[in-house]
Amino acid sequence: MAGTAFAQSKGKRPPAKTPAKTPSKTPAPSPPPGTPAKGSGDDGGEIEMNPDDAKKPGTGSGSDVNPDEIDMGEPEKQQGDLTTDLNTADQNAGAVKATPLKKTPLSWQDIIVVIRKPFLKVRRTELLPFVGTTMNDNMIRHYTVGGELAYYLTDVLAVGVEGMAYVHAFQEPFDLVARQARRLPTVNEYNWSAALDFHYVPVYGKFAILDRHLATWEALFTAGIGAGQSEVIPRDTKFPGFTNLLIMPNVGASMRFFISKWMTINLGIRDYVFFDHFEPKNRSDTMYATASDAKDHADGSLINNVMFQIGVSFWVPTSFEYTTFR
Amino acid sequence: MKNHTILTVVSVLAVSSAAYAEPRQNTLAADVAVRHRRLLVKNRFEFAPLFESTINADFRHILGGGAKLEYHLSDMWSVGFVGVGSTAINTKLVDKITPTLEMNVDDKTREPSQAEFLDRLNTMPFHGAGYISFTPWYGKLAAFGQAYVAFDFYFQAGVSYAQLKSNCPSTICSDQFPGVSHTGMDGDTIPPDLNPNNDPPLNSGGHLGVYLGGGIHVFLNDFLALDMTVRDYAFTDNPSGADFNADLFVSNADNRFLHHLFFGVGISVMLPTTVKRTP
Repeated sequence: MAGTAFAQSKGKRPPAKTPAKTPSKTPAPSPPPGTPAKGSGDDGGEIEMNPDDAKKPGTGSGSDVNPDEIDMGEPEKQQGDLTTDLNTADQNAGAVKATPLKKTPLSWQDIIVVIRKPFLKVRRTELLPFVGTTMNDNMIRHYTVGGELAYYLTDVLAVGVEGMAYVHAFQEPFDLVARQARRLPTVNEYNWSAALDFHYVPVYGKFAILDRHLATWEALFTAGIGAGQSEVIPRDTKFPGFTNLLIMPNVGASMRFFISKWMTINLGIRDYVFFDHFEPKNRSDTMYATASDAKDHADGSLINNVMFQIGVSFWVPTSFEYTTFR
Repeated sequence: MKNHTILTVVSVLAVSSAAYAEPRQNTLAADVAVRHRRLLVKNRFEFAPLFESTINADFRHILGGGAKLEYHLSDMWSVGFVGVGSTAINTKLVDKITPTLEMNVDDKTREPSQAEFLDRLNTMPFHGAGYISFTPWYGKLAAFGQAYVAFDFYFQAGVSYAQLKSNCPSTICSDQFPGVSHTGMDGDTIPPDLNPNNDPPLNSGGHLGVYLGGGIHVFLNDFLALDMTVRDYAFTDNPSGADFNADLFVSNADNRFLHHLFFGVGISVMLPTTVKRTP
């Protein structure tokens, strides 16, 4: 009996009267020594073979499948309707007795073992303290300390609020431009920002570390709208600076690594887009000397402040319960 | 009497059980994390045509195309090299500074002219690296609940090489004795002009350095993968070709060890195209 007929297709469970549990009229050859049989209750993401089952050939619903028959290289193809396949197999049952057994290779992709998500987020609150740094400004680098509070409406959708405080440091070109090109760069520093964010988690996965430990992760996209404040750093310190209130939409992508049921590590990139106002050129004692005058004649520019952020999330409630069977 | 017999039997069984009891061991503890895993890289050549661009360059963005060739000795270790031919475009910083500079050379000012500023900036026509790569993480992901793909993360370290080039004509970089006194036509000693703007930039030629990289393969099928890498070619350089250490002349002392960050994306072709699986 070909194993293909009893392979479970995606999204459909086999009927209660599973043919695999009935005695096979033409049983597949026994697995070679040392080759474990397949168990049906395995929860590994790949097809795991329980060593205990290796001593008991025939255990599990898939035990009549010889691993040697599995065509590992066959590309995944569209799965047919399971009922149709079973009917076809029954109609041809007689022919199988009369003709030599034709073995249909079992595709590796025919055998689906689905595990539960190791981490549920629905109706849980994430508290994320994080730090960040500017990625795309070669004049001034901002470092941030911030936090985000997000509530997951579903397992993939969340709404949250975030806030950040900034400190800055000048980069090498800031001095070089002044010294080599005799030009004083015009830069603004950022003081704070806050935003209302929406998160969507379309990607999740798992990976093995050094072929020993499995870890799970997911990727999420973020879009939000918020506000912030920038402050002009005067080229000549005898002139006062001024502040700008900024409307700051943001988009980003992040990865989350699951450490425990209540803690994750987050890292990602966020682009804060805003229209900033800079100190006007040719500022002097007689022109734009005051902060208000300079602000009225400020030069505007669209800014993309791309930041790398990393933090540790704490989840409340600290645990969760599955609502579906394993 | 009967109770005593039962107690005795139970005691003997208990002692026997204790004597023969062995600590339970998880047989999976020493097992691999994933079985029947497709060996997507082991003992395969990887050829990847790629595109690369600098990240956050100061004066000139380097954009180029090239290829990497890698052989995966095992599932975790591989050796390879990458080479990229590039062109350069000015950064926004350069575009902002240049129009504000004086149009013509004026040695009486400390300010460089537009030509003196632009002609000293160097480009990177070719760069590459030879490296060892380590792949500690591999896995698979589900995107939008539809696409299931394998991926791995890798880290690379090795030796970098960059060919740098600047074209400063002798009419602009006219100082033949930067920073030193020399004897004039009439035998007089002429002191250094203390003007770094007319000194040769000294930022051309081949440079060896350190290479570090990290990236991800996203396998589209058994032999094609999207390859995204952040590469750091670190070597001594003076991208502006100007006086860095403020000694008023340009010399090799103005070079410093700089990191040149690139982002690369390519399509990896794994050869042979068929894969094996782990036990």
